[in-house]
Amino acid sequence: MTVFTCEDTFEAMMTCIYDAWASRLGHDNLRLQLEPVWQQGLFCTYVHVDADFSKAAKVVRSIQRKISYEAYRQVFLAAMSFEPDRLDAIYRFLVLGFASGRKLTQMMSRPEVVWIFELSRKANTEANYFREFTRFSQVGQVYVAHIEPKCNVTAISAAHFADRMPSEHWMMIDDNRQIAAVHPKDQAYYMTRLTGEELKQLRKTEEEEDIYTDLWREFFESIAIEARRNSECQRNNMPLWYRKHATEFQRRARQ
Amino acid sequence: MEIRSGLTLQEKLHILADAAKYDVACTSSGVDRRGREGYLGNSVAAGICHSFAADGRCISLLKILLTNHCIYDCKYCLNRVSNDTLRAAFTPREVCELTVEFYKRNYIEGLFLSSGVWKSPAYTMERICEALYLLRNEYRFNGYIHVKAIPGAPDELLAAAGYLADRMSVNLELPTGESLRKLAPNKTHKAILRPMRMVSDTIAEHRLAIGKSAQMERSRSTQRLGGGIFSGAGGRIGERADQSGFVGDARPLKAQMPAEDLVVRGSQPVNAGRESFSLPAGLRRRDLQRPFVPAGQSTQMIIGATPETDYHLLKTTQHLYQTYDLKRVFFSAYVPLNEDSALPALGTPPPLLREHRLYQADWLLRFYGFHADELLSEERPDFNELLDPKCDWALRHLELFPVEINSADYSTILRIPGIGPKSALRIVQSRRYGKLDFPHLKKMGVVLKRAHYFITCGGRMMYPTPIEERYIARQLIGVNEKENWQIRHGSKTGFRQLSLFEDFQLGA
Ligand code: SF4
Repeated sequence: MTVFTCEDTFEAMMTCIYDAWASRLGHDNLRLQLEPVWQQGLFCTYVHVDADFSKAAKVVRSIQRKISYEAYRQVFLAAMSFEPDRLDAIYRFLVLGFASGRKLTQMMSRPEVVWIFELSRKANTEANYFREFTRFSQVGQVYVAHIEPKCNVTAISAAHFADRMPSEHWMMIDDNRQIAAVHPKDQAYYMTRLTGEELKQLRKTEEEEDIYTDLWREFFESIAIEARRNSECQRNNMPLWYRKHATEFQRRARQ
Repeated sequence: MEIRSGLTLQEKLHILADAAKYDVACTSSGVDRRGREGYLGNSVAAGICHSFAADGRCISLLKILLTNHCIYDCKYCLNRVSNDTLRAAFTPREVCELTVEFYKRNYIEGLFLSSGVWKSPAYTMERICEALYLLRNEYRFNGYIHVKAIPGAPDELLAAAGYLADRMSVNLELPTGESLRKLAPNKTHKAILRPMRMVSDTIAEHRLAIGKSAQMERSRSTQRLGGGIFSGAGGRIGERADQSGFVGDARPLKAQMPAEDLVVRGSQPVNAGRESFSLPAGLRRRDLQRPFVPAGQSTQMIIGATPETDYHLLKTTQHLYQTYDLKRVFFSAYVPLNEDSALPALGTPPPLLREHRLYQADWLLRFYGFHADELLSEERPDFNELLDPKCDWALRHLELFPVEINSADYSTILRIPGIGPKSALRIVQSRRYGKLDFPHLKKMGVVLKRAHYFITCGGRMMYPTPIEERYIARQLIGVNEKENWQIRHGSKTGFRQLSLFEDFQLGA
């Protein structure tokens, strides 16, 4: 068994798929795995693959042309999920896809298809959550948000905010992955890695309070109808986990 | 009436959010609009929810009144003129700043601006238009705006608001004229329905002008179905006969818009023969080229303050969809706020389960191809407390079940309890590529604990179950019980728009 491994970025994953396919070892004789690889199998050969833009682009183009745009969308989202085996799952999905073409995403009686469908749905749901629950604080001229998503959704959610606030400076920081989407006013946003020191500096921005954080809390309190109070319903709709960075659930820092 | 000047912005927000919260509509849905450089905001057709208040209801818009001053005396309302309550009013600029600053922090999707009737309907609508105009132009706000149309305001002002906003609503309040007379002496159905009719005709006219169909788009599942309440009515909305005695004497608003130069002159009074009013200063032709109320119209009825049955409410709802092409009808469980012999006593719990059943039925009308008369009748005028309307319907039609998943058509599958439009679509698409079995259905989002009594896969049921009404009813009541209890007792999953999404699998 040959195991192709790569780091956890979309470009590397697509390159890894390219190399595995091109190896002609036969789909049953190979596996794909994301690094770091903690436990090495006994009778396995490990091949590390480095990201290569042109190979990755070829894979992306083939998925879109030979299968469908929808299949590509699902592959991208599944790659952002936190399932450890997602890379191999995507490979199996594509093996079936290049054999069956456009109808792939509708073949729900096939486990490969259902698996990617579920992973992509998870990532998509979470990306949508962060469209809702992300909160920005104003720090000088910049609006800064901190998030801690389970799936790697910062880039996806940032696309939404780029459309929503095209003419503001803002950034969205994934505190755990230490990456950020940075959007300068009237320009395209880009993804960047943050050093530990940068992250430490930026973390303080969340404590930034102004008149609007207070007004928002005032509104949040006033809008609830006492006779319908239902905190369990509130908890189901907005799990405690998402509240960590939500202004309205943070106690006023200075009072 | 107590009037205090010098309220802080925070005090005003407290008063005017508190006074606005009994209007239940809070969705930011119905229109897709991309952002634009130099502007702030976009809009996503599915709507985006930003938080959940302590009552479990979603917060999507900055829902406020422009003022709680009111010259009317609706018995059920806190702001009625006869109440001695603290009054406040925002300036148009305060409304704009709150909206824009909240929006940039991603607290909200936009603004829902309503108001008490301040001095006169014209005066109120003029202030509202002024705020919206500032917000769209000076503050370059491109996000979602829902605005209340104040019945009795001049048509030109209603039109101006419609070009600046995404959604408009006029609340029907109560389904019968008699109840309305009793509880809202200053309102009549005629006065409420006139702007509703005009807005709907203007939307239709505007849509035709830009090459769309006159009727609002409905969900994909509804288009696929063909047999629901939105089909078969045919023709233009405005031309449809109005069978209920609702008025229809209004012309489309656009035809009544003043000529361009009149508009540009701005805040000078325009005498329309009724009373003096002014259009927002500087309202330009450009503003009139925005789509007119692109997210459609909605309305709201109060549940439980008056004796109407569920059947009556649902028939009215269906009628409103068909006749006024409304995008949504909302129901608001009555919360007693005033001591009044014509109303339930203070402390009467709001009928939350009833409200929930009405929303479930409303979804069956809008997405599942059901008609009001299939769900209720004169003989059975109220919903079953123990079972949701879809299970209840299925149990009364056991002769149609079980349905074979691998061959039944879309509309039949959609009527099976536990299956929603999305999973129904997945079923008909994927069965072309292989026979489906129960585990596949589960993966596709079918709620088998409800569905399995009503379906077969390859001729086989999931468990050996008798197709017998009493037996299945007992089982399903068990499934429903937890949810019912939770809604009534304010625990776990009370009513919320999102839970409907899940129950009906309309989500992702
Ligand atoms: S018109 Fe009636 S419902 Fe509206 S604010 Fe005035 S009293 Fe309340």
